[in-house]
Amino acid sequence: MYDVLSRTADLIARSMALIGGAVLILLVIMTCISITGRALVPFGLGPIKGDFEWIEIGIGFAIFAFLPWCQLQRAHAAVDLFKPAFPETMNRVIDLVVDILMAVVAVIIAWRLYLGMLDKQSYAETTFILQFPVWQAFLAGLVGAIAFVIVAVFCVLRSGRTMLGLGRDEDRHVQS
Amino acid sequence: MSNLELALWSFPVLLALIFLRIPIALAMLIVGFGGTWLVTGAPLMMMNQLKTLTYGTFSNYSLSIIPLFLLMGQFAALSGMSAALFRAAASLLGHRRGGVAMSAIGACAGFGAICGSSLATAATMGQVALPELRRYGYDGALATGTLAAGGTLGILIPPSVILVIYAILAEQNIAKLFVAAMIPGILAACGYMIAISVWVRLSPKAAAVRAKESWSERLRALIAVLPVAAIFLLVVGGIYLGIFTPTEGAAVGAAGTGVAALASRQLTLSRLKQAILATAASTAMIFLIILGAGLYNSFLALTQLPQTSAAWVAAQGFSPWIVLTAILVMYLLFGCIMDSLSMVLLTVPIIFPIMIGLDFGMGPDDFGLWFGILVLIVVEVGLITPPVGLNLFIINSMAGDIAIGETYRGALPFVLTDVLRVALLASFPAITLWLVRLIY
Repeated sequence: MYDVLSRTADLIARSMALIGGAVLILLVIMTCISITGRALVPFGLGPIKGDFEWIEIGIGFAIFAFLPWCQLQRAHAAVDLFKPAFPETMNRVIDLVVDILMAVVAVIIAWRLYLGMLDKQSYAETTFILQFPVWQAFLAGLVGAIAFVIVAVFCVLRSGRTMLGLGRDEDRHVQS
Repeated sequence: MSNLELALWSFPVLLALIFLRIPIALAMLIVGFGGTWLVTGAPLMMMNQLKTLTYGTFSNYSLSIIPLFLLMGQFAALSGMSAALFRAAASLLGHRRGGVAMSAIGACAGFGAICGSSLATAATMGQVALPELRRYGYDGALATGTLAAGGTLGILIPPSVILVIYAILAEQNIAKLFVAAMIPGILAACGYMIAISVWVRLSPKAAAVRAKESWSERLRALIAVLPVAAIFLLVVGGIYLGIFTPTEGAAVGAAGTGVAALASRQLTLSRLKQAILATAASTAMIFLIILGAGLYNSFLALTQLPQTSAAWVAAQGFSPWIVLTAILVMYLLFGCIMDSLSMVLLTVPIIFPIMIGLDFGMGPDDFGLWFGILVLIVVEVGLITPPVGLNLFIINSMAGDIAIGETYRGALPFVLTDVLRVALLASFPAITLWLVRLIY
């Protein structure tokens, strides 16, 4: 059962991160095309309409999509200075508390983002140039935010099991 | 408790949480949220703010430069440029005493020109240069210390993620900051090479030298690094000339290193996935810290702590130079335990208003650039100071067989040159500002 959950969490986090990365690469390509078009205005070409807005929408989506992977990999910056000095039990309790708090934060972020999306929808707010409905950009972010909640809840389970001595928790750290 | 007292108490609470191993982003979110709750008497204001704050932060156009620079660095690591840079530097410097280590520094400086992250620079150059250093019989302390210090050039030499964050927080011009960072970055590389040169003279058995190469071999090695120069000039030059915005520049850089990675035929699908996942983890980590810092700083702004403390410092009539020294020393001490990004995000919103109110005999624009470079250097020293210096850990674990104490010892001469350089740049602001004035 736990293995299934573990694989599911990994699949969600990994695919969201890769989709976000694909969007990032698309934005890189779009920006290069847009700059080239802008440089060739005398030859009748031009920049891509609303390129700045695409970057904002796309990067916004990508960063929400990156959150679950960061959480699953425990890639958050933290000061590990006293880790060796703390008793083993205390470290496990800290891991659990951190994961619970992170899950609470994930829920608050997703919940407020959802309410923000409803606000934008009711005002029918759009971006300036593309006239892109802002609530849809929020919705794109919400996909990542919900994946973050799911993965964060799984992480609570993971560190809870480790604390009870049920499973060994791989202690991986990814750094920038 | 008055609002101001709340703000002052929030520091020890925040530090206590951080030392308990609570992730820095989480600690800032909690204290910022709780503090605002206490000041306004209800969680309502924060809750309303959060409806748009998260999306607003994540989709901020200026901040979108960060994932693009991180992706650029990841592609650069796959492009084989690190090996080409090391070969080129070694063909010029390898025959000197300590030359292989100097070449590693030179290659790190070159790599720093296409990578905005210290850890990525240390990790990438470490893979290339560490085996070479060991092969030429370099002492373990010197080899690991050199590469850990060389890694900091990733961020001292533009483009630089930390400078981008500083520019946004202090409302400075990113392009001018990149230009201002050039000479201090080159000075850093020179300082490190001098440190190596002194080290190998004091303990001559620390290293062997390479055979001297002919000029045609050197030329060939230099031609191989032309793409690095081209990408650097395109990105920094394009931003400086205003052909594109800094964010677009980062996208162009990512495209450039991506094409270089494709051309080197090292970019397999699984490596591309690894590069994306590494970018994802670092990006999410940084943006959560930015979100936490945003919340925490809006709490501090609510208590008016930044204005009050700036007014207080100004009213004391302290010598500006003593305040500057105290702040730089504080950064150095904090750097021993905290990572550079969190430190900048946490301190600049409070420190900058204090500092800009003091008279250093220059305009606010010049001051913003000069102070930014000083902060950049002192927070980066934190990456190579024990007990928590991430570059030291990365290189040390890569070497595998060297005690961490040896690596600490190896980093010491480089830390010394860093401190000397900060003193030099602080005493003579013209060194930093000269190039900016020349070309603007």
